[in-house]
Amino acid sequence: MDVSTRRALQVWLALVVLTLLTWAVGRAGLGGGPVIAGILLSVAVKGQMVADVFMGLRAVRSPWRWMVSGWLLMVLALIGLAFFTGET
Amino acid sequence: MEQIASHPAAGQKKALPGDFAIWIFIYAELLVFGIFFLAYAYTRAQHVELFNTYQQHLNRESGAINTLVLITSSYFVVMAVAAIRRGAAGHCTRWLILAVLSGSVFVWIKLAEFAAKHAEGITLSTNTFYMFYLSLTFFHFMHVLMGMVILSVVALKAYRGAYNAQEHTGVETGASYWHMVDLVWIILFPLVYVLH
Repeated sequence: MDVSTRRALQVWLALVVLTLLTWAVGRAGLGGGPVIAGILLSVAVKGQMVADVFMGLRAVRSPWRWMVSGWLLMVLALIGLAFFTGET
Repeated sequence: MEQIASHPAAGQKKALPGDFAIWIFIYAELLVFGIFFLAYAYTRAQHVELFNTYQQHLNRESGAINTLVLITSSYFVVMAVAAIRRGAAGHCTRWLILAVLSGSVFVWIKLAEFAAKHAEGITLSTNTFYMFYLSLTFFHFMHVLMGMVILSVVALKAYRGAYNAQEHTGVETGASYWHMVDLVWIILFPLVYVLH
């Protein structure tokens, strides 16, 4: 297994762990500000790993890579804002 | 992080993997899904109790299993791309078949979920939460089906020897689309099934 496929396997494992954590949080019925922030942060990490390693955007010229990363961060930030607005 | 796409010299950046046209499509799709997600989130902010109540009626286990299925299928696609870059068309075909089979597991679980809601008499007009749940997940479901068709065609072409270590744009194009479908679900699952 070369470096790139080993990295892909590591990312897959990280995605599995973060998904199981998200499911466990849901199963426990946890909610509220800190939980929302934590889950959105984990989604940002998962999304960036998919973009960088699975899609291969880490090696791609900046505007194209950052369009995906920017979309991810903007959508998650606005979702967070909407959820915190709903909490208050 | 090392990239899967290729191994350029240090500091050297390259073009997008696959056909450029698919990336225009991917960026457009991301924009549409992003607007859909924000519509859900901001509508929820006006109906917090309703959304929190009916979210509890969803099958969270199905959503989590489907997330694991999609990220695993994405990993299979990564391996298919790595295989064809080595010129191993047979391995590439097998990884793509595994990815399509994983996609069919997603489809089967999602159909079971839709059937359960249908049996309960739930429709788009039941309430605002279910309108978003059904339309968002069905919209994504259609993308999974389309991705499976694309990957199947790419697998068939790989089997017939259409790709090699030098020319495999089609494999990268199909892979990029499938990863987009995965990326969108990674947001959709916690947003609709978990966050409250």
